[in-house]
Amino acid sequence: MYALRITSLSKVFDDGFEALSDVSLDVSVGEFVTLLGPSGCGKTTLLKTIAGFHSPTHGTVEIGGVDVTAAPPERRDTAMCFQSYALFPHLTVAQNIDFGPRQNRVGREERTQRLASLLRQVDLQAHAGKLPNKLSGGQQQRVALARALALRPSVVLFDEPLSNLDAKLRQQVRHEIRSLQRDLGFTAIYVTHDQSEALAMSDRIVVMRAGRVDQVGTPEDVYARPKTAFVADFVGAANILPVDLHAGGDRRIATPLGPLVATDAPAEDATHICWRPQDAAPVNGAVVSDNVIEGEVAARAFQGSYAELLVRAGSAPDQRLHLPPDAPQVGERIAFRLPPDKIRFVRGDAA
Amino acid sequence: MRPRRILFILALLMPGLGLILLMIGSVFYIAIAQSFGYYNLAGESAFSLEHWAEVLGSRQFGRAFRYSLYIATVSALGSVTLAYPLAIWLRRPFPGSLTIGAVLKAPLFVPGLVAAFLFLNVISWHGIINQALMGLGITDAPIRMQNDSGAWGVVFLQIWKNMPLALLLLTGATQSIADEVLDAARDMGAGAFDRFRKVIAPLTVSAMQAALIIIFIGAAGDFAFQVTAGPTNVQSMAQYMVFLTDSFGRWNQAAVVGVSLMGLALVGSIVLAVLTRVVLKGAQR
Repeated sequence: MYALRITSLSKVFDDGFEALSDVSLDVSVGEFVTLLGPSGCGKTTLLKTIAGFHSPTHGTVEIGGVDVTAAPPERRDTAMCFQSYALFPHLTVAQNIDFGPRQNRVGREERTQRLASLLRQVDLQAHAGKLPNKLSGGQQQRVALARALALRPSVVLFDEPLSNLDAKLRQQVRHEIRSLQRDLGFTAIYVTHDQSEALAMSDRIVVMRAGRVDQVGTPEDVYARPKTAFVADFVGAANILPVDLHAGGDRRIATPLGPLVATDAPAEDATHICWRPQDAAPVNGAVVSDNVIEGEVAARAFQGSYAELLVRAGSAPDQRLHLPPDAPQVGERIAFRLPPDKIRFVRGDAA
Repeated sequence: MRPRRILFILALLMPGLGLILLMIGSVFYIAIAQSFGYYNLAGESAFSLEHWAEVLGSRQFGRAFRYSLYIATVSALGSVTLAYPLAIWLRRPFPGSLTIGAVLKAPLFVPGLVAAFLFLNVISWHGIINQALMGLGITDAPIRMQNDSGAWGVVFLQIWKNMPLALLLLTGATQSIADEVLDAARDMGAGAFDRFRKVIAPLTVSAMQAALIIIFIGAAGDFAFQVTAGPTNVQSMAQYMVFLTDSFGRWNQAAVVGVSLMGLALVGSIVLAVLTRVVLKGAQR
């Protein structure tokens, strides 16, 4: 059963800007789906259209099987966690959390139970009487989450909720959100431009670009089997090269790095190959094998557990490699091998 | 703190605070002292409660007090009530909003007496409205609207003149509310009126109180609108005060009315400010 169904959704703003173009998506009950993409790709517009803050130009939104396309936000079975938390500054933590249930005329006893349970779940019992400005960013985020959950909505919408937190707190809160979602079983639509957040939290990722959906899949799918050069580049680092599929036949391809062999069968519309920086294996000594590339280290950055190298090879732009920290220095020659099963065919360019 | 330092701080404060204390304090002092018989311009100066007894015992004073209280309260509440929806409407810019805002604030630049005379041109016996009504054949004879006994003319003028001030204060306050906070309330199920009652009004309460108090004080002490367009069967306190000095030279009794007017302004402002808080607290329940 679908918690949310979006069909052919388009949104053109008054100034003519097309923020969404023919977006369709089905989200199952209890699923955690992340809308991932760069700034301006339409992910927040899509989220706000689901919430009812934007009305679509075309298409429909169904929540729990009911068409809510024309319904205002206050009549939708959704709750939103805003990027800025959007807590009511004049109300205490408890009053903020209780706002929705009180507004929806939930009985006093039920409200008290929900409040106590949510305060416990987000670990804010000691702060119930405080105003939001007396809380840290992480605590405010937890209040915003509790306030959204207090309504017991079918779908909880998250608009980049961790973007104002520092890196360490972000990791902690994202685990809290995910475990709460699993425990309570609500359906979540989560907007972020942070690919590591999307990979770590989601059941499925919807990668968006310029108002369109580029790829929908599990985090493993999207990362390991990107369909477009844009997805390969945006979700994790990738080296993307144009390819001539008909250069040698039998999975032999011509690339700016030289001839390569790939295990994968290219799709008909494939125009590029991509490979991950960590898939390159350093080659020591004279190894005669397919896919061995020689080049010169153009730049090197120590990253703690690995070294990131930019290698100049063939007529290709500099290729990014993640190698052990003892990798060659700038100006030294390097040989590395690309395993054929790590080369993926994708379509389009990464623009 | 050493005496020299205290003197130094006082010296620094003197140009601002000193002037205020001197100018306002001296007015307060003279008005209060005069109401108790001192500074008598028409007789012997000596402490006396006689002036208070005479004024408080007069029916005319009671009517003037109630009338000024009524005008001040209705004007303050009316101006703020009208200004709120406009302030919310003009919260975020849209094509033409700057012009609309400027036009709405234009009455701030029109002196009260001028506004009252312009108003008379519109509602007088041979004014624009009566000419139009008769010209269109809607009425056979002019309708008497000037100096109406219900004081609607004065209330209209007060609101016309003071609403822009309330709008100015409330627009700034409503603009400071983040869109996401209002979206959050909407998302939690709050309709337009609940968003106003539970979010906008509590977050703009200070501006609302400031507008109510400033308008209340101004309207309580109104003279120009009252003498031009007000009812002839009742006087405002300011009008009564001038009447006492002009007609009978009773400066001490006029001072009693003046002190009472200041008391009305002070108590009325406090009551309005407290009531606003109490009402809004109740609205959040």
